[in-house]
Amino acid sequence: MTQRADQTRPGDGPARAYDGPGASSAVRGINPRITAQISYSIDSTIPGEWHLRIIRSAIPAGRVTGFQTALLDDDVIFLTADDVSDLNTFGCQIADQVVLTREPKFVGDAIAAVVAPTARDARVAASLVEVDYEAVPSVFGEMDAIAPGAQLVHAKHYTSESDSAYFDMRPQDGTNVCHRFRIRTPALQGRDEPEVVPHLDDPDDALADAFADADVIVDEVFHTPAAAHVPMEPHATNAQWVDGRLEVTTGTQTPFNMRQDLAHIFGLAAEDVRVVVPFMGGAFGAKTFIRTEAITALAARKAGRPVRCVLDRDEVFNEVTRHPSTVRIKLGAKRDGTFVAKRIWAYVNTGAYADCGPGVAQKMGYAGVGPYRFDHVAVDSYCIYTNLPPGGAFRGYGAMQSIWAAERVVDMMADKLGIDAVELRRQNLLHEGDTFCTGEVMHDARFEELLDDAAAAVGWEKDGDRRGKGVVVILKGMQTPSKAEARIELLPDGRYEVQAATADIGQGAGEMLTRLAAEYLKVEVDQVVVCAPDTDRVPYDTRTTSSRSTHMMSRALADAARDLQVHGTIGHGYVSNDGGLDPDTGQGIASSHWHQGSASAELEVDDETGIISLSTLYACSYAGKVINKHGAELQNEGSMILGLGTALFEELQYTEGQMTNPNLSDYNIASALDVASIRHRVMEVPGGEVHGLGETAVPPVPPAIGNAVATFGYDVRDLPMTPERVLAARLGDTFQSPTGEDPQ
Amino acid sequence: MNLTLNVNGRAVDVDAEPHDMLVDVLRDQVGLTGPRVTCGVGLCGTCTVLLDGEPVSGCILMAPLAQGKEITTIEGLPEDDEVVASFDRNHAFQCGYCIPGMVLTARDMIDKGHACSREEIREGLGGNLCRCGCYLKIIEAVEEAAQ
Ligand code: FES
Ligand code: FES
Repeated sequence: MTQRADQTRPGDGPARAYDGPGASSAVRGINPRITAQISYSIDSTIPGEWHLRIIRSAIPAGRVTGFQTALLDDDVIFLTADDVSDLNTFGCQIADQVVLTREPKFVGDAIAAVVAPTARDARVAASLVEVDYEAVPSVFGEMDAIAPGAQLVHAKHYTSESDSAYFDMRPQDGTNVCHRFRIRTPALQGRDEPEVVPHLDDPDDALADAFADADVIVDEVFHTPAAAHVPMEPHATNAQWVDGRLEVTTGTQTPFNMRQDLAHIFGLAAEDVRVVVPFMGGAFGAKTFIRTEAITALAARKAGRPVRCVLDRDEVFNEVTRHPSTVRIKLGAKRDGTFVAKRIWAYVNTGAYADCGPGVAQKMGYAGVGPYRFDHVAVDSYCIYTNLPPGGAFRGYGAMQSIWAAERVVDMMADKLGIDAVELRRQNLLHEGDTFCTGEVMHDARFEELLDDAAAAVGWEKDGDRRGKGVVVILKGMQTPSKAEARIELLPDGRYEVQAATADIGQGAGEMLTRLAAEYLKVEVDQVVVCAPDTDRVPYDTRTTSSRSTHMMSRALADAARDLQVHGTIGHGYVSNDGGLDPDTGQGIASSHWHQGSASAELEVDDETGIISLSTLYACSYAGKVINKHGAELQNEGSMILGLGTALFEELQYTEGQMTNPNLSDYNIASALDVASIRHRVMEVPGGEVHGLGETAVPPVPPAIGNAVATFGYDVRDLPMTPERVLAARLGDTFQSPTGEDPQ
Repeated sequence: MNLTLNVNGRAVDVDAEPHDMLVDVLRDQVGLTGPRVTCGVGLCGTCTVLLDGEPVSGCILMAPLAQGKEITTIEGLPEDDEVVASFDRNHAFQCGYCIPGMVLTARDMIDKGHACSREEIREGLGGNLCRCGCYLKIIEAVEEAAQ
C-alpha cells in the first residue's frame, strides 16, 4: 500500500481551500475530495490555540440570575454577558442578538462560555458550571405567538445596518411580528385593513371583492415543521487577533457579510477583519451569517491567544433550523378553470432571533403565488418570533413551505372543477411577456415545457386515470438585489488565478469558476487556478446562497476576462442585479431571473400501514445553459433527495421548546435505500442564459408526492407525510404532532 | 495509556485514554483527516475505517480495541485504487465529507462480492449517509468499480 498519511497532518496556520496559486487544478486528476487531500474548516488549526465550549440555556425564556463556577480550574477562562458589554448587537436583517445573553430566548441560547487548553478540558469545564435561572412564560407555535396578547419574545423591535437587510422592515409594535411583507396587486392597494391577521379563519372582508368573479373558491391551511440542515461537517471556527486585526478561519457561505458583521460587533474597520473560508463539508444554508464566529473571536480576545470552536452534533441541530410555517391559501377560479384571484397568509416561525427570517417570509410570500396568471393577488407574510431555536436560510429558502400549500390547492381546485390537474395548470400558466403579481414582466418563461416534461415522466394522460400520480410546476426567486465581483490575475508562471468570494460548500464552485474562466480566456482548464475565498484577497460578493453564484459569477467572470484581455495582467469584473420589492405592496423586482422547475410522482399507499411507496419521483429544472454537467446533475439530484426527506420523514420535534431529536438516530435523513425511484432532467435550451440550480428541485417534490397521495383519498396537510399522518388524513382526523403542540 | 496502532501499513505510537474513540485518535494523534465524525453514534459512516479489511465505525470503537489489527483509512488506499478512480470518473461527490467512508465501505462490498446489483449496492451503502445527496452517482460508481 502506498503511504500517504504524512501529507495530511493538520497544517500550520489557517488552512486554505485550493491552496492558492500553485494549487492543482480543480478539474484535472483524481479529485482530492475523494481521497481526503483537502482541508475543511474542521481540519484547520492555529498553533497554540485553546478550545471553546458554549454554555447554553436550559430554559426557553427567562433570565440568568447567577453562575456557580467554584469547580473550574484556575486556568479556565470563563465568559458571560458581562464580557460583551462593549460589543454591538448583531443580526443579518434585524440586530436582535448579543454574543452572550443574560436573557435566553430558546433552549440552547448561548449564555456563557469556557475556554481551556484542550478540547477535553473545555468540555469538562463546561459541565462543571451551574446556572441559576428565573423563567418567564414562553411561546412556541407561530399561531400562538401571533395571537393577540401573546407573550412577547423581545420587549421591542430592532433594525439592522447590515448589507443583508436589503429591504425595509415592517415590524408590528406590541406583537411578535418582526416583519410583515405584503403583496397587493393594483386594484387591491390602499384599502383600510388590519395590520395583522392573527386568525386562520379571518373572513378577509377588506379584500373579499377580489374573488367577486370566482365561481369556485378553495381555502385551506397547510403546515411544515422545523427541519435540520445536517451539514455533515459541523460548524468549525478558528479565530485569532494579530496586531489588533481579527482573523477568522471558518466555514461560511457569507464571507463578506461575516466580515462586515464581525467588524460591526467589535467596532473595527471592515479591513481589520479577515475571513478565510476553507472547503465546507456541506452547509445548505446552515453556515450563513454569524454562527460560531463572534463568540470564538471574543474568546480569542479575552484569552489573548487563538481559540477554536467546533460544535457537537446536537448543537449543530440547534444552531439554526428551517422555519416551521403555517400557510393558508385561498384560490378562486371561474367555472371554466380560469384563475381569478389568490390570497395567501404565511406565518413564518423564525424562532428566538430574526436572522434572515424576514427575507424568507418575503420569498415564501411570492413563491406561493406560483407561475400563474391572476386578476388579483394579495399576500401577507408574517415573520414571527417564538422561543424556538432560530430559523435561517435553508435550501429552498421559504419557497418550499408555501409551494407545498399552493400546489396542493391547485389539485384541490382541479377536483372541485372536474378539470384535469395538468390542464388546469396549463390553462393558467405565465407565458413570456405576462405580468407577475409583483408587476414584473416574465422573460425566458419555460413553465409549459417543464409541466409537460414532468407529466410525461409519469405517463400522465389528459383526463386519464391519475390514481397515484401527482404533477407540480413552480417558480422561485434569486437573491435580488445583489452584487458579484471577480478578479482574474495572470500569474508569473503563465497560469491564471481566479479570485472570487464564491464559497465552495460542496456544490463545485471551484470547478465552475475554473471551467468558466478557461472558456472566457480561451485557455485549457489546467491553466486556471482558483484561490480560496479570503476577504483579504478576493473582491466583494453578496454571498453564496439562493443558487445565485453560477448565474452572477459567470457574468462577473466574463467581464473580468474581457478586462484582462484589454489591460494585461489583472482583470476586474463586476455585475449587479438591481431590484427589490416594496414591503407594503410587493411591487417591484422580486428576482432578476426566475428559477423554474417541475416535479412529478407516481406511487402507491399501503392502506394498512400508511406507507408510501414511490415508483417514480421525477424533477425537471430549467438550467438554460449548463457549465458543468455533472455538477448540475448532482445539484438537481441532491435537491430532490432533500425534498424527498422533507416530504416523507424530516421533522424536528420539541417538548416545551426543547428539541427532542437533535441526533441522526432520531432525526432521519435520506439514504441510498430511498433513491431507487429518482429520475430527473436538467433542461437546457440553445443559447440559454446560465441559471442556478442549487435548490430548484427542493420545493416541487413534497406537493408532487402529496398530490399523488391525495388521489387515494389521503388529504395530508402537514409535512412530513409519515405513515401515521397519512392514515389520520384518511380518517379526516386532525393529526396531533408528537410535540404535543398543535401543528397549526 | 500508550498504544501502538498499525495504520496504513505503519506502526504509530499514541497516548490515549482507554475510552478514546478510534476516530479521534486517528484524527488528533495520527494526523489523518479522512475519518470524520458526523453523527458520533455509529449511524452515518463518515468515520468508517477498515479493521483487518472489515468496515467499522471509528466513532464507536474504543481505540485500544484496534490494537494488533491493521487499520486502513482512505489515505492508505493505493493511488490507483479502482473504487477511487470510479468515484472520480462518475463525479460521485459534492462536498466530499462522506466520500472516504463511502469508498471504504464500497471497497469491502466489492471485495466480498456484495455489489452485484443496484439493489445490493443500495443495501450495502444504507449505513453511509450523504447529505449532499450524491447517492445516484455513488451507486453508479460502485457498480462500475465492481465490474
Ligand atoms: S460518525 Fe461514526 S457513524 Fe457517524
Ligand atoms: S458529498 Fe457531501 S455529504 Fe456526501
